[in-house]
Amino acid sequence: MIRIETDGGVRAIVLDRPDKRNALTPEMLSDLTDAVRTVTAAKGDDAAVRAVLLRGEGKCFCAGFDLDLCRDDGPEQAVMKSFLSGLSAAIEAMRACPRPVVLAAHGAAVAGGCALLGGADIVVAERDAKLGYPVVRLGISPAISAPFLMDGAGAGGARRRLLDPALFDGAEGARLGLVHELVETRDGVTDRAHEIARSLAGKSVHGIKATKAWAMESAGEKTMPGRAARALDASLSLVTGDEAIERLASVWKK
Amino acid sequence: MNELASLNIEGPVATVTINRPEQRNAMSIEMLEGLHACIDRLEEEPGVVVTVITGAGRAFCAGMDLKQVIIDEGSGGSGEPMLPKRLLASLARLTVKIRCLSSVVVAKVNGAAIGGGCGLACVCDLVVTHADAKLGFPEVDLGLCPAVVAPWLVRKIGGGPARAVLLQGGVMSGTRAHEIGIADVVSPTRDDLDAATDEVVHRYTEAGPEALAATKSLLNDLDRSRDLDLVLRGAELSAAVLATEAAQANLIARLK
Repeated sequence: MIRIETDGGVRAIVLDRPDKRNALTPEMLSDLTDAVRTVTAAKGDDAAVRAVLLRGEGKCFCAGFDLDLCRDDGPEQAVMKSFLSGLSAAIEAMRACPRPVVLAAHGAAVAGGCALLGGADIVVAERDAKLGYPVVRLGISPAISAPFLMDGAGAGGARRRLLDPALFDGAEGARLGLVHELVETRDGVTDRAHEIARSLAGKSVHGIKATKAWAMESAGEKTMPGRAARALDASLSLVTGDEAIERLASVWKK
Repeated sequence: MNELASLNIEGPVATVTINRPEQRNAMSIEMLEGLHACIDRLEEEPGVVVTVITGAGRAFCAGMDLKQVIIDEGSGGSGEPMLPKRLLASLARLTVKIRCLSSVVVAKVNGAAIGGGCGLACVCDLVVTHADAKLGFPEVDLGLCPAVVAPWLVRKIGGGPARAVLLQGGVMSGTRAHEIGIADVVSPTRDDLDAATDEVVHRYTEAGPEALAATKSLLNDLDRSRDLDLVLRGAELSAAVLATEAAQANLIARLK
């Protein structure tokens, strides 16, 4: 359900589950992480990959976790925990990748799908795309996104969007700083993201690598060690509580 | 809770009302004590998911009570040199206390939110206002320094924009406040403010209270909202600038 396409210097990682709006499975998250880490670890011929493009097949980028898989989760919420850990690892892998990561958010990028935006260096979105973090309705904290959203959108924007379950559009995402370029049409999003990735692939590898690392450090990445782990813990500690279990159960009753 | 600040709890929603409308809800030491009491009480109310802070009458909060920050009694001031410092320290402690409430706090900015009043709004998790409300930090226009509220504005809109706003002074419309991120939601008219606030409050009440509280707590850790020492140092700085002759003269001229 993760497809890899390499075209020139661009490695496209494609969420390929269009019949489920690219809803994530723990396996997809670990495949995504592996695909990014392969780029990071590449020496020799594979080092020819100079930019990464993350996109979704079909009508939207990603609808979040496939909650159907949590239906038979026991009181330990093992599947939900693997979702959360997998998502955090995928975002971390994208940020740790020395190559620039471009993300094409067309249609919708919701919940875990929206969280993936936090791993990308450049986010291209459709103006009318549906974005947001509605998971507090399910008693789940979108905490994983907090450190990355604070870097990207600032502390105020993160507070605004992580506590309010309402969805918002691409234009509001751009106002916040979560989206860096808007495209009017759905089809145009992937084309534009690909174009940016190709352009980045044509630049000096060393300049890009040093700049990406330094820009993140300047934004406070290193000033609070373990931010991502702390955020993941905040999410994990909630999922075995009554609130999350009861609210998740209500999803199946509908 | 006193006659200057009231608390009303209905199910998961608490409303704190600043109740000094004849003084445009200006902050006096007594009013801040009332607000402290409301927040202390809310800390004992685990069933509250959303707290709305608003002002009675036309204004949200017009800033510091001039009569309590002017020192010279003959000029209409309090005659108590230590009062401004106490007032600012009380505001500093109040800001951190509000931020650390486990409920989501919404500022319903019904009218003027000036200086410390605008700072009080920025402390809240969400700011709702209307297009014609007046918000801003005119401290520098009076030779003052908005040091207690500066850290909250930085957390709200980022360091660069905060510097531009605080150094330029003046006030802005609700529409402009929304453009630069001081307001999160802006209704077209004052009459729509209730509906706009109710809509977002309703969304918070639909969310899992524990998920909201855990997320808020993490955000407070990450943006160092619990740093009381920083705002207390801000209160010291603000009080020192306020005590200068030039600032006192400006305040006296304003009172007249």
